[in-house]
Amino acid sequence: MSRFGWSLISGIAVAALGCGGAPKPVAQLSSSEGAIRGAQEAGAAEVPDATLHVKLAEEQREDALKLIKDGDNHRASMMLARAEADAELAIALARSANAVAEAQKAADAVEALKQKAAQ
Amino acid sequence: MIGSHLMSRLYALPLCALLACATTAPPRELVDARAAYAHAEQSPAQKLVPAELHVARESLDTAERTFKDDPKSRDAVDNAYIALRKAQRAEALGNAAAAADNKTQAERDVGKTQEQLLTKADAKLKNTEGALAQERESLAQQKAATESERAARLAAEKKAQDAMDALSKNLAVKADPRGTVITLSGGVVFATGQATILPNAQAQLNQVADALKTQAEHHFTVEGHTDNQGTDRINDDLSARRANAVRDYLVVRGVSADAITAQGYGSKRPVGANTNPEGRAMNRRVEIIVDKGVTASN
Repeated sequence: MSRFGWSLISGIAVAALGCGGAPKPVAQLSSSEGAIRGAQEAGAAEVPDATLHVKLAEEQREDALKLIKDGDNHRASMMLARAEADAELAIALARSANAVAEAQKAADAVEALKQKAAQ
Repeated sequence: MIGSHLMSRLYALPLCALLACATTAPPRELVDARAAYAHAEQSPAQKLVPAELHVARESLDTAERTFKDDPKSRDAVDNAYIALRKAQRAEALGNAAAAADNKTQAERDVGKTQEQLLTKADAKLKNTEGALAQERESLAQQKAATESERAARLAAEKKAQDAMDALSKNLAVKADPRGTVITLSGGVVFATGQATILPNAQAQLNQVADALKTQAEHHFTVEGHTDNQGTDRINDDLSARRANAVRDYLVVRGVSADAITAQGYGSKRPVGANTNPEGRAMNRRVEIIVDKGVTASN
């Protein structure tokens, strides 16, 4: 085999490893974006803990986009999974804070009524 | 030198194998993920969101497997990081569910307490309404009673006034500080020196009795008076007997015995001069006084 032939094979192999070692995580790109938007809609901005995890999710998604550009789809996929896990945690934290506040409001209402009833 | 160097290497080898070489320490993320999962397991998530806890468990299992396969890989760190977040998420969702339960319970309590308050207010209102109705009825009764009392009193007063008016046509009736005074001439009612009522005077006395009976709420005093002829002893006695005779006659005619008393004053209270016959005739008299004021029994 000629030198040209070897270099062609090795070129294809590099291309297969670099670009095609893992497919571009298209679905994860959109699901992580959806999760971040979901966290914002759940009111994460009002809850400091949730805000922190939205920020982490956004940063990791940015990192993933860079990795895709660099051709590391596998690392990008892992980074997007981390981003989505952070965004989903932010949703849960926002919901929990909301629910706790509402429960407190209801408990206060009970207390006020009970005091009224005792009068 | 070389030998001792080798020896130290030989000692160091098993130590290395024990500590680091055989088992790589797990990354901080995996340590945190294990702790977070253990914590979530003890939280309300266990009971309220078991499916989410299960998701976290599976994620932790994946992280453990990745670590076991290749302890130094970045995937092991990433999977542990994801497992940590999923455990934290399960716990947060459990807390949210617990808070929602608390809220539901509190809302139920609010409803119950409101109902209690309403029932209490209702009972109070009913009580007040009952008391009000009673009060209103009692007021209406009082008003009716007052009204009929007033009507009865007006009717009685009118009857009394009419009777006194009729009386004043035939007899001397006048008001003085003691009350209304009806004066009967001694000469008309009695024979001289006597205390027996003359038949001719009966019509007059009947009229007086009828007038007094219209004024049942008053007390009456019958006073006997004489002129100054004769001794005081005789005059006192005569005036007292005449007053009593008139009183008794009036009682027989229906005036209440409890409401009428008699008193003789002899010649002590003249109304005219005893120096001439006209004056003496005025002094010989019986006065029936309708006392001012109303008796307590009425």
